Amino acid sequence: MKYRLNVGDEIPDLQVLKSENPGLLRFIASDREHDVSFKVLGANHYQLTVNGKSTEAFVVSDHQGKHVVIKGRSFFVQDADKLPQRRAGTGRTEDFPGDVTPPMPAVVVRIMVKEGDRVKKGQGLVVVTAMKMETTLAAPRDGRVKKINTSLQAKVAPGDILVEIEEETHD
Amino acid sequence: MATAHSECRIHHIRSPLCVLCASVVKNGETKMFKKVLIANRGEIALRIIRTCQEMGIVAVAAYSEADALSLHVLEADEAVFLGESEPSESYLNIEKLVAAAKSTGAEAVHPGYGFLAENPDFAQACEVSGLTFIGPPSKVIRDLGSKTVARRIMTSAGVPVIPGMLDAGTDMDDLFREAERIGYPVLVKAVAGGGGKGMRIVSRQEDFKEACLSAMSEAEKAFGNGAVYLEKRLESPRHVEFQILADYQGHVVHLFERECSIQRRHQKIIEETPSPALTPSLREAMGRAAVSAAKASGYVNAGTVEFLLDPSGRFYFLEVNTRLQVEHPITEMTTGLDLVRQQMQIAAGSPLTFTQEQVVPRGHALECRIYAEDPENRFFPSPGLVLLHREPSGPGVRNDCGIYEGFRIPVEYDPIISKLVVWAGDREAAIRRMIRALEHYAVAGVRTTIPFLIDVLNSPEFVQGGTHTGFIDRHFARWTQNKEDADLARFAYVIDELSSPGKAAAGLRAAGLPAPWQTLGGWSL
Repeated sequence: MKYRLNVGDEIPDLQVLKSENPGLLRFIASDREHDVSFKVLGANHYQLTVNGKSTEAFVVSDHQGKHVVIKGRSFFVQDADKLPQRRAGTGRTEDFPGDVTPPMPAVVVRIMVKEGDRVKKGQGLVVVTAMKMETTLAAPRDGRVKKINTSLQAKVAPGDILVEIEEETHD
Repeated sequence: MATAHSECRIHHIRSPLCVLCASVVKNGETKMFKKVLIANRGEIALRIIRTCQEMGIVAVAAYSEADALSLHVLEADEAVFLGESEPSESYLNIEKLVAAAKSTGAEAVHPGYGFLAENPDFAQACEVSGLTFIGPPSKVIRDLGSKTVARRIMTSAGVPVIPGMLDAGTDMDDLFREAERIGYPVLVKAVAGGGGKGMRIVSRQEDFKEACLSAMSEAEKAFGNGAVYLEKRLESPRHVEFQILADYQGHVVHLFERECSIQRRHQKIIEETPSPALTPSLREAMGRAAVSAAKASGYVNAGTVEFLLDPSGRFYFLEVNTRLQVEHPITEMTTGLDLVRQQMQIAAGSPLTFTQEQVVPRGHALECRIYAEDPENRFFPSPGLVLLHREPSGPGVRNDCGIYEGFRIPVEYDPIISKLVVWAGDREAAIRRMIRALEHYAVAGVRTTIPFLIDVLNSPEFVQGGTHTGFIDRHFARWTQNKEDADLARFAYVIDELSSPGKAAAGLRAAGLPAPWQTLGGWSL
């Protein structure tokens, strides 16, 4: 089976081969073979042994992908082949280049544009606050504010489109 | 006829019940509180609850809407609902907190850190309501809360302060003369300032007037007060603070130092004790200065005297934190004292049970603050649902944590998840132990500072002990996640997909892909 798994915008081809041993898989990544034996320790808990070195891994899924924690580091892994059907994640900005979404759950404290405004790339549109820290969400491109989908004091999350920017039509 | 009552040891009032602190006075013995309200949330509330329960004191939690399922509420013996999540309706609401204490019959209030901990009005509101505020008297909090009053107190006590002005002003000629006297670089600071507003660094004489004018106008706009004062600007200082304990009988001891130079956004993220920068004689001099600072201000209870230490070994008073400090556990690890217990005993009027000579710190302790924030994105807060939370353990490891798996970290409050603390025989062993503990701390669902902290602790700059307040900006400004184990993470993804058949099949269907495996020799494709 082939996978294209995105970690931090890197999507190498990954081939997976099953063996007769249910606890052994062969991975072919960047033309290198890795035989990986594994044990299932719990619902989210695995032990992987690669080239004789064993590592503990925790895996939890949310609706956008899986969080994998190895040695204190958390990796967000997404199947690139499934991404187009999902409305969020790193792939989405290419599909919706004019949409503005917060990086983290936050509360809207200022809206600095109104529908129909012309904006320049990098111009501040909305200020959100989370845990006493404010951040300004900027226009990802030049254009015109098509729609504002939020209001002051609204609780917002990544994936929520707060402002839609469309290409300016020249009449 | 003489009364049989002894006087309250705290307020020296002769009565069977001290009207100021309600502590029951009997034959000069001060009795410990039976019930204490904790006016805080999260890990620090839990920390205080634990000591209360060990001392046989009933711990009462107070909570807002967002915290109904918080650990401090679940662990407390009783809990009082304050109101909406907005801090002004809950943890910053003096009236509600005092009412909560009164209605539950608590005799004392522990403010923790943050929120109202250093608010003199809260301490005073407790005092006049007959509640013991577990902290210094309101007047002391008020005095030390003013930058210029605190500087005056320290100067008169012979504690070195950062060279600068004792009074703020707006007269440009006066300010210019002062700048010349102090010597460049100088820091222009708004007297009413905060958050970096109305603050300028001036390195050259010719830039002074313009920078000063713009600081004054910014301060005028932001605070309605354009007055500024000047301070010598120190290059690459270390932040070294001394823990102090002071009782109502006038004894003051220090519990040695904590080095807190590793900061992001002017907030500490790694603390350690002892400081790698202090020689025994410097440590003694700073400890003496900290005790003088406490005595000069009439200090009572636990507090922290903060100093800046310049590269030449000169130290300057910065401020007194009139509360339990976030990083107090490292002092507990090296001294063997429970600082919250000490606070309770002092507040109840008991004298300290040890002298300065009896405080002998051992080994080395480190604390890492685990924040729910994204170290790759300017440490932006990352609240949300905690999908996974596995804490490290093992010898010398302590984790003061306020969350659990399945908890939703609220967007309204500080992003601290926990304080991971280790103790070991020496600094090198403590660093190795902290790295081990961090590598065994698994959190998913929210971003955390864990991977960033691992890299800082592994860096040669940190290992050599060359820390200063600009450390993160100098060495880790453009930090990104180490991708070394990204392939392992991909393997784990596939294994999880294959090990949970229901999920995998659904995933494949969703992707419109065929599920069956084609056979190829001993391996299936």
